[in-house]
Amino acid sequence: MSNQVNSMNKGLTVKDLVTTGIFTALLFVFVLVGGVFFATNPVLTFFMPAGGGLLAGPIYLLLIAKVHKRWSLSITGIIMGIIWFVTGMHWAFALGYLIMAIVADFVAGAGQYKSKKLNSLSYILFSLGGTGSYIVFFVDPNGWAQTMLGNGTEQSYIDTMQATANTGILIAMFAAVIITSAISAFVGCKMLKKQFEKAGITA
Amino acid sequence: MSGKRHKKGLWLDPRAKLFLILICVLSSMFAPSLAYQFVLVMLIAILGAFFGKWKYVIKAVCFYAVICVLTVWIMAEMTGTLRTMFIAFLGLFHKVYACGTLAGIVLTTTKVNEFLSAMNRVHAPKKLVIPMAVMLRYIPTIQEDWRYIKDAMRMRDVSPSLAGFLAHPGMTVECIYVPLLMAASKAADDLSVASVTRGIENPNPRTCLVQIKCGVADWGVMAVAVAYLIFELCVRGGVIG
Amino acid sequence: MIEFENVSFSYTGQEHGGLHDINLKISDGECVLFCGRSGCGKTTITRLVNGLIPQFYQGELHGRVLVDGQEISNIPMYQIAAKVGSVFQNPRTQFFNVDTDSEIAFGIENEARPPQELIERVEQTADDLRIQKLRNRNIFELSGGEKQKIAFASVYAMNPQIYLLDEPSSNLDMTSIQELREHLRLIKKQGKTVLIAEHRLYYLMELADRIVYLEKGEIKGIYTPEEFRQLSEQERERMGLRAVDLRAVFPPKPHSIAPIPVLELRNVTLRYKKRTILHDIGLSAGKGEVIGVVGHNGAGKTTFSRALCGLHKDCDGQFLWESKPIERKERLQRSYMVMQDVNYELFADSVEAECSFGIRNPDQTLVNATLEELGLSPYREQHPNTLSGGQKQRVAVAVSMICGKDLLVFDEPTSGLDFDSMTQVAGLIRRLSNMGKVIFIVTHDFEFVCRTCSRVLHFDEGEMPDDVPVTMDALPKLRELFSVSDGKER
Repeated sequence: MSNQVNSMNKGLTVKDLVTTGIFTALLFVFVLVGGVFFATNPVLTFFMPAGGGLLAGPIYLLLIAKVHKRWSLSITGIIMGIIWFVTGMHWAFALGYLIMAIVADFVAGAGQYKSKKLNSLSYILFSLGGTGSYIVFFVDPNGWAQTMLGNGTEQSYIDTMQATANTGILIAMFAAVIITSAISAFVGCKMLKKQFEKAGITA
Repeated sequence: MSGKRHKKGLWLDPRAKLFLILICVLSSMFAPSLAYQFVLVMLIAILGAFFGKWKYVIKAVCFYAVICVLTVWIMAEMTGTLRTMFIAFLGLFHKVYACGTLAGIVLTTTKVNEFLSAMNRVHAPKKLVIPMAVMLRYIPTIQEDWRYIKDAMRMRDVSPSLAGFLAHPGMTVECIYVPLLMAASKAADDLSVASVTRGIENPNPRTCLVQIKCGVADWGVMAVAVAYLIFELCVRGGVIG
Repeated sequence: MIEFENVSFSYTGQEHGGLHDINLKISDGECVLFCGRSGCGKTTITRLVNGLIPQFYQGELHGRVLVDGQEISNIPMYQIAAKVGSVFQNPRTQFFNVDTDSEIAFGIENEARPPQELIERVEQTADDLRIQKLRNRNIFELSGGEKQKIAFASVYAMNPQIYLLDEPSSNLDMTSIQELREHLRLIKKQGKTVLIAEHRLYYLMELADRIVYLEKGEIKGIYTPEEFRQLSEQERERMGLRAVDLRAVFPPKPHSIAPIPVLELRNVTLRYKKRTILHDIGLSAGKGEVIGVVGHNGAGKTTFSRALCGLHKDCDGQFLWESKPIERKERLQRSYMVMQDVNYELFADSVEAECSFGIRNPDQTLVNATLEELGLSPYREQHPNTLSGGQKQRVAVAVSMICGKDLLVFDEPTSGLDFDSMTQVAGLIRRLSNMGKVIFIVTHDFEFVCRTCSRVLHFDEGEMPDDVPVTMDALPKLRELFSVSDGKER
């Protein structure tokens, strides 16, 4: 009587959930460490999502390599969203991570979570989640500033906001996120190959 | 049992706290002017005082007062792109500050088990509660791991700092990620084993040692919060049209 | 009743740890100890009983494992959990919650017992195990021994019929091991069946009803404790087993060479977060000397080791190396700590790369010679993570040799090691000592101290009350320090 054991194709197991939890903790800490320097600096505030994307790539890719099942990344996004929300971050920031994580999950899933290119793309999308609150700003700069300026929004402010410089900032912000997270994903792929696959800790 | 948790000050249901944060976000969003933001921060400070966090709330209010004065000045004086930058930054700052202050109070007065109990009570699915619990439990572990790794790096003459990173980026990256992720991976295995052998796969809904209940205080605080939000909305509606 | 019927198992993609044709019956209320070398399959036996094999670990399984007549592989994990409780080796990675009360209740919460019952069970458990003072605490503030107690309590609260313990003493100090023994005695008195896989045997001799010796996945002998005690020392060591009775462990004959002093500490005071950890320590150590460091958890052993290595900043007093003051940065250059969890100090992707990691112009001949000397040459291409615990430790030692470190600190080098690996580490330390290095070993392992150390420093309550030579003359004092009791009860 032989009993060949197989635990694949069963949806998320407890081990997958625990792994997701642990790696979410690491992702959270690394995004926070990467972003905090920019977040507290008025001139660099737009590059906060870029800073957040710089460090977490290897963790994200190893999580995919260990679990490679649907919903793991979405759960990560939901938890990150809840934690950002509870720690008092802007709601759009939390929502951004939540939505982009689900999108990223589907992108990585398109390659069965095995394609390094799609996984990297998925990480870039995930990192773009951090731009949520800034997008809200660009969509409605008046509303954003209203609290500070009172209701008499000056014409000069609206003018400045409509000047091209701001679109420049918007583009620069997205470009920065894409570049930093691409670098991070690249380093992550290298590391996965060089270290973690050889060490036998990917599933 | 519950006596131990009521050591000092107020105790609120984590669900009530979550609701407060939500209302706080909305109040920040709809605040008609800085003055209302400031009142909001004051209200949160009063709540903090009920929790016995005097030092924290005094600091928070003073700091906010300074920033408010600064904001008024910047709005009056600056122009151009720099101004845009500041508007974005301060805008975010003002929207976030009240919530951040409240979050500071909530986080320091809520135990992880109370929070998980609340998640249980609102019938969050296990697939979310398990990773969430693990995450909250693992963050202090990362801190511990990092201390060991820093020591190990120093002994190998790799500096665990920004300067060290710039000098030897490749090496520093390996030194940080490799042990941290190896430890995480091992912890994932051990922790799953330890939870599976204690029956976490039981399909019946878990019960919870820590029992949370919504009392008079919870309803009171929530009522005040909602009242303030409605007041703000009325002011806004009245002025705008 | 637990029955193994012609059980064979092999892990997927792994040679070690498998089992061949195991037949064994364990009746209710029995306490069975499984021993043997690392990789002999004793852990695998416990995993077959708690269902982790085949439901968690993958591999090929033949034969049947029955608990109370039911085949384990057919029962869902959570139902097994109600019957079989498991305690594991590493207390750091076993807990799920941040506070102790919730952790104790974790298992019974999963069983969905009503809240009132949860409270009563937790209360009862804390009383029975005498851990009331650990209640309502943050688990991250607890010592390893205390964490292990909470892990045990969590299983105890579920009140299983069968307890499985997989090397529970690996990370414990002497006092905690004694408390663990008391807990085991308690559950035995309650009529529970207890299965323990262990390297350290001495604390189980009064508890075990049968001792099963495994070799390469087969049962090579079943003994009663009396029969087991009769085994000669040579016989036991040939079987690769640790001491059965610590009272029969003695220091070696004194080696008469007086070492040349090289390291000296004068009036050293160490503080951590403004609290004084160690006060006014003075000592000197010679070239090639091996010094044991003992003390309770929190007595300052870790801070002391870190200060020696130049990792701890907040200290007063003087450190001298060859009579010249040596600053913190310089100590950092000269010293190396082999950590208890050696994984934290392995960074590279192969053993060979690890040895030259961070060195600008690595001396390839030195690397090769060192790997050869430590028996690591066959593994040079492998990833350090794929090695065994003892091998990883040797990689760390190789690193220290190649970096030319003179001062070595080992933190619990024998935790979780079998007899063979322990003697290997002892041999390694002797070799380092012959090379003239100064070696400090933080350890609770009396057997190991007798094999390696020339003296023992004892830290207690911020002082260093004892500096004892490891000789026959000092035996009573040594026994006191390592809680080796003369009588049966403490």
